[in-house]
Amino acid sequence: MTNPLPRVVAALAAIVVLNDSAYIIAEWEQAVVTQFGRPVGSPVVDAGLHFKLPFIQRVRRFEKRILNWDGYPNQIPTKDKKYIMVDTTARWRVVDPLLFLQTVQNEAGARMRLDGILDAATRDTISSHNLVEAVRNSNKILDDLKAAAKAGRDAAPGGEDEVVGEIDAVGVGRESLSGMIIERGKAGLKEFGIELIDVQLRHISYETSVEAKVYERMISERQRIAQKIRSVGLGERSKIQGKISKDLQKIESEAYREAQNIQGQADAKAIRIYAQAMNADPSFYEFVRTLEAYKKGIPSGTKLILSTDNRFLDLMRKR
Amino acid sequence: MPQPWESPKDDISDLLKSLSAKLGTGPELGGRLLTAAGGLVVLLGFATSLYTVEPSEEAVVLRLGRYVSTQTPGLHFRLPFGVERVVKVKTKVILQEEFGFRSSGKDGDRTSYSGDDFKSESLTLTGDLNVANVEWIVQYQISDPKKYLFNAREVLKNLRDISQSVLRRVVGDRIVSQVLTTGRVEIAEEAQRLMQEVLDRYDIGVRIVTVKLQDVNPPESVRPAFNEVNAAKQEQEKAINQAEREYNTVIPEAVGKAEQTVRNAQGYATAAVNRAEGDAARFRETLKAYQAAPTVTRSRLYLEAMEELYGRVETLTIVDKGVSGVLPVFAPGKDAAAAASGDQR
Repeated sequence: MTNPLPRVVAALAAIVVLNDSAYIIAEWEQAVVTQFGRPVGSPVVDAGLHFKLPFIQRVRRFEKRILNWDGYPNQIPTKDKKYIMVDTTARWRVVDPLLFLQTVQNEAGARMRLDGILDAATRDTISSHNLVEAVRNSNKILDDLKAAAKAGRDAAPGGEDEVVGEIDAVGVGRESLSGMIIERGKAGLKEFGIELIDVQLRHISYETSVEAKVYERMISERQRIAQKIRSVGLGERSKIQGKISKDLQKIESEAYREAQNIQGQADAKAIRIYAQAMNADPSFYEFVRTLEAYKKGIPSGTKLILSTDNRFLDLMRKR
Repeated sequence: MPQPWESPKDDISDLLKSLSAKLGTGPELGGRLLTAAGGLVVLLGFATSLYTVEPSEEAVVLRLGRYVSTQTPGLHFRLPFGVERVVKVKTKVILQEEFGFRSSGKDGDRTSYSGDDFKSESLTLTGDLNVANVEWIVQYQISDPKKYLFNAREVLKNLRDISQSVLRRVVGDRIVSQVLTTGRVEIAEEAQRLMQEVLDRYDIGVRIVTVKLQDVNPPESVRPAFNEVNAAKQEQEKAINQAEREYNTVIPEAVGKAEQTVRNAQGYATAAVNRAEGDAARFRETLKAYQAAPTVTRSRLYLEAMEELYGRVETLTIVDKGVSGVLPVFAPGKDAAAAASGDQR
């Protein structure tokens, strides 16, 4: 209780020493302890409180979580000589912090390696395949078309039969291209203590100078489709007009046939009836009918010249 | 990477203690100071050890960096002075990411959208190597705060990258007309499913609630051509409708007329038969009477008929059998005269 100074100094020293020997590793961290630059022991991967020798040992922390790599959009020619911009992203993780520390030091160093390796892998993969392989993942379109053709649907007018040009079959597909890039990348990155989780083709687009040409092609394609649709419409109209003519003639002629048939049968029946009745005395019928015909056949305003020979005038003559 | 709990508050309390010890002249003052400092420390510790978790959140508790538990909403206690650290994560909130456009500040009740600057996000190659402008949203929720915090550093960036990659893959498997019209729902559903698959592979505790396509358009310069296709469809329909209309005008009328013709014929048939039967009946009756007195009746009928006939002609000229040459004068009546003279028997 004389002088508190030594105690205070001792306490402060203890605090400083403790502060430098204890360290906390969070769940998302891992660390390598180095002693004058030389790694000591195995990497610390468990979260929690850890101890080291103060002052002479240093803790180097690394991420345990998934990290992102964002590729610079690259202009790459495909196998079929189409220039496209390919934008890739990747996910990676430090799996061997010691190796990571030794080979690339830190994330910035890792990024440089990733740039080199993944850009090359992407370039190699894209340029050894046709454009469709990078755009489409499956032959769904072709399958759909086939199914539609089987169902006979594309014969229907106004259907969604809007495919122009031929759809090339896909042999590899987008996902498999990603897979190839991953395989190539993985091999190269292993020696840096990096695990490549995946590579995604985030964006594939036509190169700006090609874009205008592509748009022109799209326009002409659409115009072709529009023309086809229009003429299908005109064709349909002609079909219907033809049907009108056909149906009309059918209806009219059938009616005519039936009418004639009915009338003919009636006439025949009438003839039979007349014949049956008249056969009883044909000469009398002829006589009566002739008289009737005279009456009807000679109208009233007629000027008539009779010969005296006329039977009607018999009595006149005989006098 | 600096983490806030790495500067332990224990230092401060110890420092206070030591300070009081250093400055203290008498034991009484020093003691009082020590007590005051101690009280302050306890108070500070108590104040910092209480925390609330909001209803929309869950809290992940880390003790010296190590995961201990996940706390549900309510008032909770933690070990003070940075021994336990709490990270709150909004697990109940549905978050939204926009692609190809950004909804910005509200203009009245309407959110205004801008899409021009995000062409690189929205321009997408379709399976028939056309280009479509696809805008979409992804709604997601943090389903596992522990995985969300511990498994990836930039969850949102991952989500955005995957969303773009997956949507392009789905659109790439369809032709442009499908993308623009009929395939929208299907594309959104498939994109949602595939996105979830990929995110599950990363195991980063995110659940996709929904993927919805917003504006899907052809690129600006191509749009008129697409409109032309739509116009052509309308024209096609119009042409077909016109023809159908024509059909509907002509055919039912023709059917009616045909029916009329048939009915007319049937009427004629009935009339003809009836007339025949009537005539036949009359003849039979007449014949019966005639046969009773044939000669007289014959003469009578003849005379009656002639009487009626000659009674109503305009002029009647009687010419002697021997006279000829008069006939040409009456040339107009020649037919009638011939008919009349022809009746002699």
